[in-house]
Amino acid sequence: MQKTVEQIEQDLQRPTGRTQRAAERIEQDLLRPIFTTSGKYKVAVAVSGLLVLAGVAAFGYQLYTGIGVWGINSPVFWAFDITNFVFWIGISHAGTLISAILRLCNATWRRPVTRCAEAITVFSIVIGGLIPLCHIGRPWLGYWLIPYPNQRGIWPNFRSPLLWDFFAILTYLTGSTTFLYLPTIPDFAAIRDASTGFRKKICRILSLGWQGTPRQWQRLEIAMHIMAIAIVPVAVSVHTIVSWDFSMTLVPMWHSTIFGPYFVTGAIFSGIAALILAMALLRHFLHLEQYLTPLHFNNLGKLLLTMSLLWFYFTFCERLTTWYGNTPDEMAVFWQSIRLHFAPLFWTMVICNLIIPVPILSMKRFRTITGTAIASSTIIVGMWIERFLIIVPALDHKFLPFSWGVYRPTWVEDTLMASSFGMMALLYLLFSKAVPMISIWEMKVGLQPHGGGIITTAPAIAEPHGLVLEGPLPTDVPE
Amino acid sequence: MAHKWGLVVDLDRCTGCEACVVACHAENNVPTVGKDQAAIGRAMQWIRVERSWEGDFPNPKVRFQPVLCQQCDAAPCEAVCPTYASYHTEEGLNGQAYNRCIGTRFCANACPYTVRSFNFFNPSWQKPLNLQLNPDVSVRSVGIMEKCTFCVQRIKSAEIQAEAEKRDLKDGELTTACAQSCASKALVFGDLNDPNSEVSRLASSNRAAKLMGELGTKPNVTYLDRGAWQDAKNS
Amino acid sequence: MERRNFIKISALTGVAATLDACRAPDKQLIRFIPEENLIPGIAVWKPSICTLCSAGCGLQVRVMQGDAEVERHGERGLIKMGLAKRLEGSPQNPINAGKLCARGQAGLQVLYHPDRITKPIKRSGARGSGQFQAISWDDALKELTSHLTALQASRSANALAFLARPLRGQRRELIEKFLTAFGAPPAVWYEPFDEAVLRQANLLSFGHAALPTLDLARADYVISFGADFLGTWNSPVAQSIGYGAMRRGRPGRRGKFVQVESRMSQTGANADEWIACKPGTEGVLALGIAHVILSQKLAPQSIASPAASRAGSQIAGWSAGLPEFTPEAVEKQTGVSAAVMTRLAHEMTLSGAAAAIVGGAPLAQTNGLFSALAVNALESLVDANRDEGPILGFTPEPPLSNAGEPAAPAQASFARLNSFAQSVLSGKAGTPQMLMLYDANPIFSAPPATKIREAIARIPTIVSLGSFIDETSAQADLILPDNAPLESWLDSVPESGSFQSLIGLAPPAVSPLHETRPMPDVLLGVAQHLGGDLAKALPYATFDAMLKAALLPLRAQGGSVAAKTDDDFWQSVQTQGGWWSAPAAAGWKSAAAKPAAMPQGKQASHALTAPEFAGSATDFPFYFQPYLTPSFGDGSTAHLPWMQELPDALTTAMWSSWVEIHPKTGAMLGIQQGDLVEIASQAGSLRVPAVLSPGIAPDLLAMPVGQGHENFGRFASGHGANPLSILAPVVEPSTGSLAWAATRVKLARVGGPEQAKLVLFAGGMSGFPHDEKPR
Repeated sequence: MQKTVEQIEQDLQRPTGRTQRAAERIEQDLLRPIFTTSGKYKVAVAVSGLLVLAGVAAFGYQLYTGIGVWGINSPVFWAFDITNFVFWIGISHAGTLISAILRLCNATWRRPVTRCAEAITVFSIVIGGLIPLCHIGRPWLGYWLIPYPNQRGIWPNFRSPLLWDFFAILTYLTGSTTFLYLPTIPDFAAIRDASTGFRKKICRILSLGWQGTPRQWQRLEIAMHIMAIAIVPVAVSVHTIVSWDFSMTLVPMWHSTIFGPYFVTGAIFSGIAALILAMALLRHFLHLEQYLTPLHFNNLGKLLLTMSLLWFYFTFCERLTTWYGNTPDEMAVFWQSIRLHFAPLFWTMVICNLIIPVPILSMKRFRTITGTAIASSTIIVGMWIERFLIIVPALDHKFLPFSWGVYRPTWVEDTLMASSFGMMALLYLLFSKAVPMISIWEMKVGLQPHGGGIITTAPAIAEPHGLVLEGPLPTDVPE
Repeated sequence: MAHKWGLVVDLDRCTGCEACVVACHAENNVPTVGKDQAAIGRAMQWIRVERSWEGDFPNPKVRFQPVLCQQCDAAPCEAVCPTYASYHTEEGLNGQAYNRCIGTRFCANACPYTVRSFNFFNPSWQKPLNLQLNPDVSVRSVGIMEKCTFCVQRIKSAEIQAEAEKRDLKDGELTTACAQSCASKALVFGDLNDPNSEVSRLASSNRAAKLMGELGTKPNVTYLDRGAWQDAKNS
Repeated sequence: MERRNFIKISALTGVAATLDACRAPDKQLIRFIPEENLIPGIAVWKPSICTLCSAGCGLQVRVMQGDAEVERHGERGLIKMGLAKRLEGSPQNPINAGKLCARGQAGLQVLYHPDRITKPIKRSGARGSGQFQAISWDDALKELTSHLTALQASRSANALAFLARPLRGQRRELIEKFLTAFGAPPAVWYEPFDEAVLRQANLLSFGHAALPTLDLARADYVISFGADFLGTWNSPVAQSIGYGAMRRGRPGRRGKFVQVESRMSQTGANADEWIACKPGTEGVLALGIAHVILSQKLAPQSIASPAASRAGSQIAGWSAGLPEFTPEAVEKQTGVSAAVMTRLAHEMTLSGAAAAIVGGAPLAQTNGLFSALAVNALESLVDANRDEGPILGFTPEPPLSNAGEPAAPAQASFARLNSFAQSVLSGKAGTPQMLMLYDANPIFSAPPATKIREAIARIPTIVSLGSFIDETSAQADLILPDNAPLESWLDSVPESGSFQSLIGLAPPAVSPLHETRPMPDVLLGVAQHLGGDLAKALPYATFDAMLKAALLPLRAQGGSVAAKTDDDFWQSVQTQGGWWSAPAAAGWKSAAAKPAAMPQGKQASHALTAPEFAGSATDFPFYFQPYLTPSFGDGSTAHLPWMQELPDALTTAMWSSWVEIHPKTGAMLGIQQGDLVEIASQAGSLRVPAVLSPGIAPDLLAMPVGQGHENFGRFASGHGANPLSILAPVVEPSTGSLAWAATRVKLARVGGPEQAKLVLFAGGMSGFPHDEKPR
């Protein structure tokens, strides 16, 4: 077996024309960040690591003193915690869903995008999933949500949307992780072959004995196809179920049938924004200018524009029906967010999600890398505010005016929120050290214009039928 | 026949004196949270007397309305609890099993009446104030949601007593702490399944209404409208 | 390890562990007192009496066995004892019939208050520094008796002063006898909101120098001039019971209730009709209504009744039909329209049993007595000559020689305190050299113009017999802490609230938690020790012996206790929580129908005087009205956490004090809800958060009494401000009572909500969601 691999390497190193040199270049470029560590990278890991540590410390303080160190109160029992939860679960819709749809549509420009998108999904689900554990009053009993025969003799309550959440998120996490992992297997094999020592050992395990035989390629193809089809309804259902945390209650402005699609739309919207931002950063710091090209940003920018308009449509529908219905309880919340206490936030949200992005994204001149990155940044902010405005005004103006309240976050909540961003950055940074952020083999597949094996002598990368598609070439490969 | 506990609040009798609030604190070990916590909206009251103003000087009108857990038959709080800490008892109460509560606070959000109190910290009774604690009621620790139980400890104790004496419970034999203390008899507690009980009689009054009854929560607390002076002769 | 070392180490560890266990109180059991009637886990209800206001409600205390951590002889440990767990009203008691107000229920926290003085303490630092050291009871009593003997020896027994909250019953008897036998002047009974004006007016109008008892359950129409009878005035629990019955206790009949005041009180909030009236003109309004009744002959039988003639004769011009008080003339003075007055007169006379009552702010004006007499005259006009008897009557005196209402009202609290302070400050011979304090806190509750703080500072020796350090007892040199009420023998002679004559009596409900001794026992012990007249006047070893001696004559009266022997009687009285007459035997009818003879020299009728205020209307544009809250009373229950965290009924404020301002006034002065404002009078100024309230006249500011303690334990100190501290020493001239609503003030915004720190329980002052409109 060892011998075969060496043979493949030798084969790969043999120059066999432009495509082959391009393939070598791809491998070089994309494996470089794994084997070389820059000073900037270390600083970034240190900063995000410190943020995570600060969050751990804040959470420890909260565990020790009680959840009262947060600013939540009666009636605002949920605030930053669930805002961040919905936000991160929303961000998770960047990757898997988009990647699956693009795969299913055979969109060839997707190749450099899928890996970094799918990674966002997995990590933001992990973060989103941790938040409910931090937010409950007695986190040490969080495992009571898990249905398993136990000496407590108590089964969790399947009528509770929180339990649905638990299953939805668990399913989505499992699915997304698999979806991320499957196409990484050939790349793990590539790293295994390119590295030595500990990393080699790990990658040997992770590559599951990948040899690149046609049979393996065929199975990978089938698995990817099944996963791509299966993950789409899961992704849609996850954010619908998250929306049910709210819409299943009677709370004014929560109890709404539009919440399912509204949340899914918002999730994809914020997810694409997060993806564009991540891609722009990767492109800059990992020098992937030749892989993540303006084409990608242009295409994703169009998608973002669509989502922005769709988001506005849903927001408009939600607000219009409430306003037209004019029930006193809902109007109390409605006016709070539009004209009273929360009006500054509400209009900031509209500016961030609509007024700024739409002009940028609708004009080709501005739909550049910088333009889409700016639009994405405002959308990330706007969508966070959107979640906050869904949760807090409804709670603090819920029904009986006597029990209305005011919410102000404390430093603990601020720290935990900053920490969640730090955690995302840290996980992403560490991931980029373990795995190429752009799928090497998929890029190589893209080199072959008309199907068949791309690199003739290398059985390891023999391209299964049907995955061979047009793709971008590194532009400066010498003839 | 099983009991179905209910409470009638006669808004015409209620004077807003809040004796019920202190009675509830004493009976159910409801903690006081102190000025700083109260200032950020964390005061805990299982029963509160709501006050609302209408009009302005020289013709201001005030209404007092005691609000406590409505012990709904279709309770929004129960369905959403993932651990069955909020559950429906056989006698129609919205039970709250403190040691099963993990503190998701979902029930408090789902409750349209905002009558659930959350322990944001461990409660403190500076010694020897701890000696006032009622040993029949467990003290709740940090992270636990609590609420009016219709003084379930009083209900259980009376039921056990009646069973030991092999007899049925009599109307008026047991009452909640709030109703017990209510001087103007604005609060009346009893068995709604007993058609002759005072609470059944009052609950069928033509002044009777449910708090936000349009939500379909089917509360077991009934409010008797105050009514205008001129209309009083009709009831 | 060598065997020897091992043994050494084991021994050391063992000793250390044992010593450690001795220190940890949870592990140490000092002693075990099984109370015979207590079974673990089984509750026993014991009678007691509520002492948190003067209404004298009967209690039943839920006592259960439990472990208490206590200190005895300098050691801390656990003790198994009966513990009070709940206070409920005593069901048999004729006043409160099983009910109890919020404040009364918080009496439990007096017993378990962490700031209670647990043993005798002696001042160790400068006076008022708050530094005390614990001493033994023997030393404390020795010191007290040595001070008293020193006074006796220097033939200056009259230099002993006793300052206490007004008491009724045997505690008062004991203190009075003690002082008389010692040769000291009478005690200075002080409470800031005494009812001297109303007692005087009732004496003149009805022949009873007492607060009235209201049979509201029978009433069809009640008009109250400022009386907060559902909250703080008179006997609130009894009145609330009657109020409930008046509203919905009789099928098909619902009594109407009208409140006249200038700031909406909790009671006023329940009124069907709330009538705003200019401060100090409530009596004028009453006479305006009376004028309509008289001129239109709306109650022909009542007008001629002896009761009406008697009460009416107190008002100048009554027999002539009150010519000065035509509705139109009254409208100009009071701001209440003539049409309303006429309608009220008709309603009152047409709607069956009607009553007019007066209390609170109208009496705290310089013309308070006139207002009270005017309302009393109206009351007699509408409430007399009814077969079932009037709604407003008086509690019959218990058939004992030394209990019950005095023939003439005592001097007003404020006048007493003022003259006491003057005599101390005058420094003349015979000025008080020693002060004994019991349950009175004038440094907090008297206006600074009395100079009581300075006066008390001048007294060489101050001994407090109270349970808490407050502003006044902080000045003490020696504190001999009293038992908590639930740990004491209690008696009460309620002034009002029942139509049966009544004496409350209860043994201690629980054993003392701390090393305290009951104040009466301390005085009796001192009397025995000093000997002579004192020992003769107070020949009892303990207070219960004195109570027994005082109450035994009641056995012959029958009433609620039928007993063959004195011992049986004494036992039954204790289990019942007191003695009361059978409703028929000494009913209210006989008492109310027989007005006492008119006191000599009191026939002169009273003419209207305009209310006078301290401060000119130009410099001080606002009337200022302090008001009592059900939670704090005069401030003496501000240390109870349940009371601090009980939302005020109308503003829902907790842990704060505030000033109520009409939104228009607020808008005029740029004051918003929760802003910090400064209120200044001639006598001083204070800063307090603003609450904008629609229930107050735009030219009036109202502020709750009870907060603003500097030194009253951890729960009361440092919250809010004390409105009594800016009152000018204006008095009602005929009684010398403090006219606490006769100070004018000015108002200015000085800060925002961050400085004010107002805590409100409610989300806002808004109405129902249906009324909620965007700004």
